[in-house]
Amino acid sequence: MRTLSNLIPIVALAAGLLAPACHTRPLTAAPPTAMVYETDIRPLLVARCGRCHAGGKTKGSLDLGSLGGIRRGSESGAVVIPGKPEKSLLVEVLAEGSMPPDGKNRPTKAEVNRITAWVRDGARTRGGDFNAKAALTQEDVLPILFTRCVVCHGGREKKGGLDLRTRRAMLKGGKSGPAIVPGKPDASLLVKKIHDRDMPPPKLLVDFGIRPVEAGEFETIRGWIAAGAPEVKVVVDVAGSTPDRLVSQQDRDFWAFRTPKKPPVPRVAKPDLAARISNPIDAFLLKALAAKSLGYSQEADRLTLVRRVAYDLTGLPPTWTQVEMFLSDKQPGAYARMVDRFLASRHYGERWGRYWLDLAGYADSEGKRSADPIRPHSWRYRDYVIRAFNNDKPYDRFLLEQIAGDELADVASAETITPELMDNLVATGFLRQAPDGTGSDIVNTVVERFEVVIDEIDVLGSSVLGLTVKCAQCHNHKYDPIPQRDYYRLVAVFQGAYDVYDWLKPSFVPGQTKSKAVGRVLPYLTAVEQQRHAASRAVVKKQIADTKQELADLKTSLEKQHAEKRLAGLPEVLREDLRRMLATPAKKRDAVQKYLAGKFEKRLSITVAALKKQNPRFKKLTKTTNDRVKQLQAEMPVEPRIRALWDRGDPSPTWLFRRGQYNKPGHRVGPGVPSVLTDGKTPLAIKPPWPGAHSTGRRLAMARWLVDPDHPLTARVMVNRIWFHHFGRGLVETLSNFGNTGSRPSHPQLLDWLARTLIERGWSIKRMHRLMMNSAAYRQVSAIRPQAETIDPENRLLWRMPLKRMDAEVVRDSILAVAGRLHDTPFGPPDPVDVRPDGLVTSREASDGWRRSVYIRHRRKHMPTILETFDLPQMIPNCVERPDSTVASQALHLFNDGMIRKLSDAFAERVTREAGREPYKQVERAYQLALNRMPSDTEREVGLAALEELTRLWQQKAADTPAKSGKQRSPSTPSERALATYCHTLLNSAGFLFID
Amino acid sequence: MTNPLARRDFFRSAADGLYGTALAYLFGREFYGGSGLLAADAPPPPRLYDLSPKQPHFRPRAKAIIQLFMQGGPSQVDLFDPKPTLERHHGQSVFKDLAADVSSPEAAGGLMRSPWKFARHGQSGTWVSELLPHTARHVDRIAVVRSMYNTHPNHEPALYKIQSGKLLPGLPSFGSWVAYGLGTENQNLPAYVVLDDPQSRLPVNEIQNWQSGYLPPVYQGTRMRPTGSPILNLTPEKSRQRPEPVVAASRRLLARLDRIHKTQRPGQLRLDARISSYELAARMQMTASDALDIGQETQGTQKNYGIGDKVTDNYARRCLMARRLVERGVRLVQIYTRGQMWDNHSNIGSSLVGACQHTDQPVAALLDDLAERGLLDDVLVVWGGEFGRLPIAQIRPGSDPKKAGRDHGPAGFSIWMAGAGIRGGTVYGTTDEIGYRAVEKRVSVADWHATMLHALGMHHQDLYFDRHGFRERLTGTDKVRVVEELFT
Repeated sequence: MRTLSNLIPIVALAAGLLAPACHTRPLTAAPPTAMVYETDIRPLLVARCGRCHAGGKTKGSLDLGSLGGIRRGSESGAVVIPGKPEKSLLVEVLAEGSMPPDGKNRPTKAEVNRITAWVRDGARTRGGDFNAKAALTQEDVLPILFTRCVVCHGGREKKGGLDLRTRRAMLKGGKSGPAIVPGKPDASLLVKKIHDRDMPPPKLLVDFGIRPVEAGEFETIRGWIAAGAPEVKVVVDVAGSTPDRLVSQQDRDFWAFRTPKKPPVPRVAKPDLAARISNPIDAFLLKALAAKSLGYSQEADRLTLVRRVAYDLTGLPPTWTQVEMFLSDKQPGAYARMVDRFLASRHYGERWGRYWLDLAGYADSEGKRSADPIRPHSWRYRDYVIRAFNNDKPYDRFLLEQIAGDELADVASAETITPELMDNLVATGFLRQAPDGTGSDIVNTVVERFEVVIDEIDVLGSSVLGLTVKCAQCHNHKYDPIPQRDYYRLVAVFQGAYDVYDWLKPSFVPGQTKSKAVGRVLPYLTAVEQQRHAASRAVVKKQIADTKQELADLKTSLEKQHAEKRLAGLPEVLREDLRRMLATPAKKRDAVQKYLAGKFEKRLSITVAALKKQNPRFKKLTKTTNDRVKQLQAEMPVEPRIRALWDRGDPSPTWLFRRGQYNKPGHRVGPGVPSVLTDGKTPLAIKPPWPGAHSTGRRLAMARWLVDPDHPLTARVMVNRIWFHHFGRGLVETLSNFGNTGSRPSHPQLLDWLARTLIERGWSIKRMHRLMMNSAAYRQVSAIRPQAETIDPENRLLWRMPLKRMDAEVVRDSILAVAGRLHDTPFGPPDPVDVRPDGLVTSREASDGWRRSVYIRHRRKHMPTILETFDLPQMIPNCVERPDSTVASQALHLFNDGMIRKLSDAFAERVTREAGREPYKQVERAYQLALNRMPSDTEREVGLAALEELTRLWQQKAADTPAKSGKQRSPSTPSERALATYCHTLLNSAGFLFID
Repeated sequence: MTNPLARRDFFRSAADGLYGTALAYLFGREFYGGSGLLAADAPPPPRLYDLSPKQPHFRPRAKAIIQLFMQGGPSQVDLFDPKPTLERHHGQSVFKDLAADVSSPEAAGGLMRSPWKFARHGQSGTWVSELLPHTARHVDRIAVVRSMYNTHPNHEPALYKIQSGKLLPGLPSFGSWVAYGLGTENQNLPAYVVLDDPQSRLPVNEIQNWQSGYLPPVYQGTRMRPTGSPILNLTPEKSRQRPEPVVAASRRLLARLDRIHKTQRPGQLRLDARISSYELAARMQMTASDALDIGQETQGTQKNYGIGDKVTDNYARRCLMARRLVERGVRLVQIYTRGQMWDNHSNIGSSLVGACQHTDQPVAALLDDLAERGLLDDVLVVWGGEFGRLPIAQIRPGSDPKKAGRDHGPAGFSIWMAGAGIRGGTVYGTTDEIGYRAVEKRVSVADWHATMLHALGMHHQDLYFDRHGFRERLTGTDKVRVVEELFT
């Protein structure tokens, strides 16, 4: 960061005072050297960098061994800018030591100085100039002005009538005259204002998220004006505009970048294996198993299957009725029917929607800041996702809506606003989930705004595209053929909505946001929703009024009592008049009453403070009332809004950020997608989504490209994810990285067959579930066969099903379900959480229990402890695969946590309610509820013995401590307590927590 | 790293003896599954992460670190970095020069001299302000770094940076890297302990200060509380406690049920791991409570720390606990301060005095105590915040000058280190003449991280974690310098 530069004289301070702080080049440059490239620099570069960048090696397209090569630069752009060592990548990487990589064969300090001096003195060659002087153009200056000035002097604001977005507008200037006088920097207002540090106004920097103009930037502006402010024609870099040197045909031939073709279903020769084929999935799998002399494990029994399917599809245990229905269905196709029943459950969307919410990085708060401001409207997106899964919204449509819903339909001119229309906007919440602190002025500069863009591209890349593009933000991807410009083409796709130079804050943060500019939200417009909102507001308002009324009544009566006491000390004749005066509001009093009031009112009335002192009940009620009102006010439904992403039309230009840094702008880039996934020559077909639209259509074009049936990745990535959740391991194990550093598919043909099948079957996700779950593979047992394990210890070939631990939400939801305390209302604003001083976070209990975990408020800093303990990740920005740990804190939570114990009591009560007091039946019922099966003989014996022992121990305790009178806590008798302890132990057992 | 195959074999062979002696081996080891390292064609090896002690890269200076984290930004020009220039130019406006780092421009005043006197101390003659008389006794043990700098003038990003190396949330904290790199000697205690102020709200950024980011959760910091259950859910709430015989019977029942379950599922490693996690949980209950029990210390020791004195008690207790924890093999103890007591935006004349009085004696006593027990040779003590403060006054125009404070100053600030081979009496680096910006021998946050890793015997380049096929490091791709001059 620049400070106290001596390029800009410090008026206030003695000249020498801050001299050591100066970092910039002294005005009096060292005498020019006579070094030339050929003799003084080339040998050095070849010696130090030749390993990769000379003698025919051109890593990153850079050849430092020839004049032509060093002139051409690398894929990151020019590496030498004569006269500007600070802008020359070559000097930068050598000086900071990032090249050569791994610190091998590093140039000495003297050598780096030599190269720096050569560049500084114009990078001379034998023939004279390095190239036809790299003259400054508007493209050097505009990025600076967009970063530092355009927020007030640009498209939306033209303070002082000044627009600094084009040379022409600068010449035209504002109220004070032209901003620039070509050739005369010192006569240019732009230079003067920056030089005097009047602009950008130091006192307004924080409010507008601006940082001062840096010394180097000032020089650039000055230099450009001095050179006559030359303007060149800009060729925006999109596919086809410049040769695509960095991505070769060989790169495009990588398996994941080629369109999948539907392979024929293989024949399985061995009859015993062939007999196991239920559908084509089995044919692919058995073929691969046969090659290793392996086969499937046996089919699991019905109890195992129904538990597996129920958890897999709904994240909840099957009810005993559901179990019995399946057991009693003796007709062919019973299993498929059972799967269909769970697929039709409305809990399916809550389970599978949650997987998608992980990918989106769903959160009910902004993150990044300690305040962690709540996102009051995020839940609409959560509900959208759950409904989409329940309704089996085709995946291509699902993506279109989420990526470009705002460009799918012209809401503004629609005749009626339907929920479907609104859904398009709600869906774009997909790209609004990343942490975003820019609501706080202090962290609302281009840097932090760009972080949001980076995160959303990361979300898109890891969830939909299956590529890690993030590396290309700072440099060309080292392992995948993704040049840096491809990354900035994606940035340009988003620029219509996320414009770092023209930013919308996500939210207003009390005390941290000065301007109350409207946040990045849209109104939710349907009439039904508006009415519902009005109604629910009215309810809370009424509750507030009622709450206040009780206090008001008490106050009035106490005041009256007080007045009466005082009146008693006054002459009788006055009393009636005074009473009347007191009962009349001040404004309505007549002259006599006013006179009386002036004389007696003070004496007759009592202050609130005095009342509180006098009357403990009043004091207590005041406090409880105030607390309750505060609480109710906090619960006041907020205006229906949508946390959407929408294109605002007319975006700023996109410059590539060299090294990923906003203050190192490179060339101008247009919208596009990773070249390796295309022919590299055809730019995205971008057009406004409808005639006259104030929207660029960039995201819509990208979304359409993504859902093209021939897209190499979209379908593969999705079927792989579905597969992962069913079988515990992706066909490609790196779910979000199908690139070079990702793993290769274990069954490439099966993956492609599934991908094509997904598209053929109308992108229906439920059909994919049916297909996978009806395979014989899915119906295998999870037991380990030692012989098979020797051959394939990781079970990559799927000779058995994996044993799975419940996910975080499943643990909590299942315990609630088993205890009979799961409150079944879906959707709507999230449920609040309570935070204990020791850090324990729990969801708040309502009168009828707790809702499913997906409906708890997902505030980043206050995630429910049980969920975090069982590996609910932080969404930064999203989660592509949850960790799966077995740690002591999980044991501690299940064994000691108060809520689990409380639910165990409820579980025990339910057992008694449903099975009576006969221990034998209680054990049976507990197994049915928690483990979804009957106990074995041994388990029954163990259970009965345990109940007996526990009852005895609780009896002893009761004998030791005589029962306190008063409240009887349930469970109260020793046998009830024993049952509760038994139920608690069952919920702690592996049999509950793991799914075969 | 542990050989995964060997561990698999172990699990298999020990499968039936888990309740016997084999458990001793498993205590504290935590099992972590999930997909892993992204080698192209080979299936990823199962990744097992635990806290077993690991070899450092080279002979370490320190076995443990106690970090006295002074959240809020202690004012360097009032504590360790005297600036006579401020005296001479008191009141002069330099705002435009500092504007990039001023969070509240409307309250930017002129240069402000320190209200406190500085003096030289010890044989080294290190300058310390009169606000820290106890710390001043120790200057010959301490190396003061005056040229630290951070890159953001706001708490949240600056804290993310000082804790995890970047201005962003979600990355592993320094402490979790240490736990990941070295494990811990005592398997019944966490490797990385956080002692936040029990009487105050959590520090800014809350639990994100000690999170493990993309490192497995086993490496994140564990908050230990001096009252109640030392670790969350280590013991049940009072109202839900059961008689000991019932708990014992319940544990026996659980063991029985799990054994039945496991016998039917031979070879499933996760089930063994889970059983051991329950056993560990039981063991931790005793060890953790004992470690925090400062009642076992003598009256004299307690008094030295300032326990019992209203001003110092709260902080003193945690300093003493920190010593007890490192004694028991904990790798890193981080002590947080009350609220943002170093965030002296106003009334610095009294607020800074309060912060110093609260911590000065306990910190000095900790150094004494560690030295007396011979622990200081092996324990690195680190003092400092996420940034410092500006040399200009922060005050609204027209307000009483006595109410002035100082705004955040990231460009240059002071920290100190002691113990574990630190060259006592050192004063390293300088800021400019007004104490605004580090100018000589600048130490970045990454340099500082690398230096602390160095003390622990680890090279920052060699401590990495494979993620999505890339090697992630605490120091990222920054150019980093270990400040070796600080060590003997």
